[in-house]
Amino acid sequence: MPATGINDRIVRVDAAAKARGEAKYACDYTFPDMLYAYMIRSSIPRGTIDSIDMPNLPEGYYFISAKDIPPEGKNELWMIAKDWRCFADGDVRFVGETIGLLVGPDRNMLKYLSEHIEIKYTEMEPAISINDAIALKGGPIVGSDNVMCQLFVEKGKPMEEVFREADSVFEETIETGFQEHVHLETNAAIATIEDGKYTIYASAQCPFYISKAVAGLLGLEQKDIVIKQTTTGGAFGGKEHFPDVLCGPLLVAEYKIRKPIKLIFDREEDMLYSVKRHPSKITLKTALDKDGNILGIDGLVYYNGGPYLSGTYVVLQRGVFHANGVYDIPNTYVKGIGIATNTFPSDAFRGFGAPQTLFAIETHMEHIAKKFGFDPAEYKSRYFLKKDSETITNGHIIERVMLPEMLEKVATASDYWRKSKEYKTGEGRGIGISFYNHGGAFTGNGEQAIIKAHARLVKTGDRVRIEVGSTEMGQGFQTTLRKIAAATLGISIEQIDYDNPDTSKVPDSGPTAASRSTMIVGRLVQRCGEEMKERWNEGDFSVEKEYEHPEGHPWNQETFRGDAYLGYGWGCAAVEVEADKLTNEIKVVGIWSCHDIGHAIDELIVHGQVNGGIVQSLGYASMEKMENRKGYFKQTSMSDYVIPTSMDFPKQEWSLVENPYEWGPFGAKGMGELVFNGADAAYIDAVERALGITVHKIPMPPEDIEEALDAE
Amino acid sequence: MGEMIYVPTTLEEALQIRKETGARPLAGGSDIMVQGKRGIGLCPELPYSVMIISGLDELKGITASEDGSVTIGALATPSEIASSSIVPWHVRKAASGMGAIALRNTATIGGNIGNASPKGDLPQPLILLDAYLVLASERGERTISVDDFIIGAKKTALMDDEIIKSVVIPHSSFTYSYYRKIGMRRANAISKLSLSAAMTVQNGEITDFRASSGAAGPKVIRSRSAEDIIRGRKIDEIPSLKEDFLSAWNDAISPHAMPEYRRHTTRRMLEYFLDEISRGAEPGIIGEE
Repeated sequence: MPATGINDRIVRVDAAAKARGEAKYACDYTFPDMLYAYMIRSSIPRGTIDSIDMPNLPEGYYFISAKDIPPEGKNELWMIAKDWRCFADGDVRFVGETIGLLVGPDRNMLKYLSEHIEIKYTEMEPAISINDAIALKGGPIVGSDNVMCQLFVEKGKPMEEVFREADSVFEETIETGFQEHVHLETNAAIATIEDGKYTIYASAQCPFYISKAVAGLLGLEQKDIVIKQTTTGGAFGGKEHFPDVLCGPLLVAEYKIRKPIKLIFDREEDMLYSVKRHPSKITLKTALDKDGNILGIDGLVYYNGGPYLSGTYVVLQRGVFHANGVYDIPNTYVKGIGIATNTFPSDAFRGFGAPQTLFAIETHMEHIAKKFGFDPAEYKSRYFLKKDSETITNGHIIERVMLPEMLEKVATASDYWRKSKEYKTGEGRGIGISFYNHGGAFTGNGEQAIIKAHARLVKTGDRVRIEVGSTEMGQGFQTTLRKIAAATLGISIEQIDYDNPDTSKVPDSGPTAASRSTMIVGRLVQRCGEEMKERWNEGDFSVEKEYEHPEGHPWNQETFRGDAYLGYGWGCAAVEVEADKLTNEIKVVGIWSCHDIGHAIDELIVHGQVNGGIVQSLGYASMEKMENRKGYFKQTSMSDYVIPTSMDFPKQEWSLVENPYEWGPFGAKGMGELVFNGADAAYIDAVERALGITVHKIPMPPEDIEEALDAE
Repeated sequence: MGEMIYVPTTLEEALQIRKETGARPLAGGSDIMVQGKRGIGLCPELPYSVMIISGLDELKGITASEDGSVTIGALATPSEIASSSIVPWHVRKAASGMGAIALRNTATIGGNIGNASPKGDLPQPLILLDAYLVLASERGERTISVDDFIIGAKKTALMDDEIIKSVVIPHSSFTYSYYRKIGMRRANAISKLSLSAAMTVQNGEITDFRASSGAAGPKVIRSRSAEDIIRGRKIDEIPSLKEDFLSAWNDAISPHAMPEYRRHTTRRMLEYFLDEISRGAEPGIIGEE
C-alpha cells in the first residue's frame, strides 16, 4: 500500500457507507427488551406546575420525573454551570422544558398516554424578546435584572475622551434572529447497562460532555457513565450540550427501569424543542472625525440566552472578542450581556457567537463608508489588522494577516471594483463584500487550563488505531485525522483505524467544537505519530500526548486580557445579487470567496465546508426566519422554516491562500466555523446597494425588504 | 384507533363505498398523510375512513376534446400535467413549480383541489381559466366550476357521496399571459403569493381580460367586476383605466399575514402586466426570462 501524502486527493472514508445507507445511526440500534421513551414537556413559557394528573399506567409503563432522582443525586445538568434542570420541578421556564419521560414497550401506548396526561399550570407573564427581558416583563427570571452573564473589553483611551474629540457620532442598532440547526439526523440517544455500567449511545459531538453533565443526577462520577457516540448525521453545534437534555432523563429512567431505553426526536420536536442560535441586539456607537476616520467604537452586545446559562457565557465571550471584526480600531469599549428570557435556551451554533457581532461590525462599517462616500471595501481595508496589531483584548495578532491579498483575489475574480462603481444604487443590481475571521480553538489558555486534551495512537502490527474523543459529525474528521496520522507515519490511510469514540476506551481530547479538532487534536495526533515513526520497529506499543500551550502568550480569564486566540482563520466574500423590483425576491448571481486556513489538510473536505458554510450563512441572512412571539416558535417544520436548496444559490468560486500555522498539523488552522462567519454581511451589502435601502436586521426575506423600502 | 381503509379497484366500487361509508378519497396522500402523522415509529392515523383510489383508471389521463377543451383526470400528477403539451400554459407552469420532484410525482390535481388550501398551486390558474370539475356519485355526474367548488380555506362543495372525477379546462386563446409564484425559496417551497393574468386583444380591443390571486385570501381571488373595468375597452385606454382596476383588485383580495407585502406585490405585478401591454409588448408570455 502506498503511503498517503497530506495533499493527496482521497475519497472520504465514510462516504460509501453513508451513501449506501449502511452507516448505523442511533435510531438503527435495537437491543433485546428495549423500551421507548417519549418526552413530556412544558406547554407554557412561564409559570408554576399545580398538578400533574396521570392516566393509569399499564404494567411495564413508567413516568419518570424529578421525584425519581435518588437522594444522592441532584436535579441538574452540568454544562458550563449547573443551572439547567434535568426535569422541571415546581415551575417551568420555557415551552418545551422537560417535565418527565414516559417509558414503555409500545410507542402507540406512549402516544396515547402522552395525550392523556393533564398538567395544570398557573401561568405567569413571560419575557420573550431581549427588550422584554431588559424591561423585566413579568418580573426577573434570573437575579434582579435578568443578566445571566456579562463582560467587557476595552482598548486604548477612555470612551468619554474619544467621543469628546469626535466630529460626529454614528450610532445604530443591528439585530439578528434565531437560527435552527436543521441537522439531517434529529437528536437521539439510547440508555442501557453494559458490563454493569450505565452506558449511553448518543448522536453527539462531545461524548465526554454528556458523561460529565449527567453523572451527578445519580450522585456518580463522570467515569461511572460510558458514552458511545453513534454515527452522527450533522450537528452544527446543536449536539454540543443539547444531548445532555436527552441523556439526563434517560439515565434517571435507566436507574429506575434497568432495561435499554430509546429516545428519538421527530423533526417537529427537533425544530420546536431544541437549542437555537442566540438572537442578538447589538448597538454600535462610533466616534468619527470630519473625514470619516474612526476614532473609537463603543459597543453594547445583548444575546438572548433563554432561562438557563448552557453555553451562553462562552458564546457571548467569543461574540465580544470578535466585535471589532478584522479591524484595528484604535479605541474600543465593548460590553456584552447574556440576558435571560423565557424562550428555549440558546446554545452553540457554528460560529459560536462570532457571526452576530461580525455581521454587526461589517454592516456598520459598510454604512459608515457609504455615508462618507467611500467604497466599503476600500474603507474597510484601511483598518485591516496586521501581524502584531493590538487586538480588542489587548493581545496581539501573532500571525501574518493576508487580507490585502485575499481582497485582491476576490476583487479580481468578482470584478468587484468595476461593478461597485458601475452599478448605481437602487437600480436592481448590487455587489457586496465582507471580511471576517474566526479565532481557532478555545479562548486564551483554555486549551491548557480547562481542556488538557489528550490523544493516543496504538500500533498493532502494521496497523495504527487513533484513540481520541473527537467525533465525526459530517465535517470530515474521520478522514482528516486519519490523513494526518498516515502522512505523519509515512503509511497508507488504509492502515489507520479510527472508531466512533467510546469514553471508556479513549482519552478525552476535548469537545468537537470551536474549530479546534484539526488544529489542536490533529496536532496532538501528529506529535504522537512523530514519536511512533521513530520507534516504529519497537513492535506493538502506544503513544499518548497532552496538549502543550506555546510559551509567551499570556491570557487572563478573569479580566479577558491577553492573546485570546493564537491563530485565526480569515475570510473575504463577495456576493452579487439581482433584485426583482416587482416581488423583492433576491437572486444571487455570483459568490466569490477566499479563505486563509493555514494549510488545507484535505482540499475536497475544505471545498465542502466552504460551500456549505457560505450557503448556510446566506440562508441565515435571507430566508431562515424563526419567530417567537409569545414563547412559542411559529415555524414548526421544514416547509415553514426553510433552509436553502441547491436551486437557491449559484456555483461558488472559491480560493485559499497558503499561510502555514506554526502550531497546527502541517500548518493547518481551524476552518469549520470561519466559512459561516461573513457571507451574510456581503449579501446584505449587495441587497442594500441593489435596492437603495439600509438594513439593520437579518433575516431579510422579501416581505421584510418591502418594509425597508417603505421606510425609505 | 385506526379507521377503515378501503381499496376500490373500479370507479363504480369506489362510488358505492363512498356512499355507504363516507370514506374519503386518498390518492397521492401528500396532504392527508402529513395531517395524520403521529411521530417517530408510528403509522399515521386519520380520524376518518379513507379509500385509496390511486388504482382507478377511470380517473387517469389527460385528453383534448374537439371543442378545444382539455380534460385532466383527478389522478393526474403535477409531473404529468407539467409535461403535457395539451394542457394550457398557466396550469403547466403552476404544476412545474409545485413542491419538490418527489411531491410532483406523488400529488394529484384532484387532491390539490380537494384540499382547498389557499396556498394550493393548481386552483389559482384553473380558476383563471374558468375550469370546472366533473363530480361523480352513484346518482350520476354533475359539473361545478372550481371557483364555486372551493368555498373557503379547506372547505369545498363536495357532497358526502361524491368523488372528483376530472377537471375540464375550456378552450381559451390569449394574446398575453402572465404567471408568477413567489415561494419561500426557489424550489421545494409552499407559495407565499401567486398571480395569473391573461388578456386577449383583437384589433386593438380587449375582448378578454382576467386575473387570479393565490395565497391572498381564504381562497383564490378572482374579481370579475374588477376585470370588467378593463375588459371590452381599447388597448390605448389602459393607462387611464389602470388605477381604477388596481384599486378594485386591491379591494378584492384579503391577505391575512404579510398584508402589505402581498398587496403591494400583487399590485406591482398586475401593473407591470398592463404596462407591458400598453407599451406594445410582443404577444405571448409577459415577463418570461
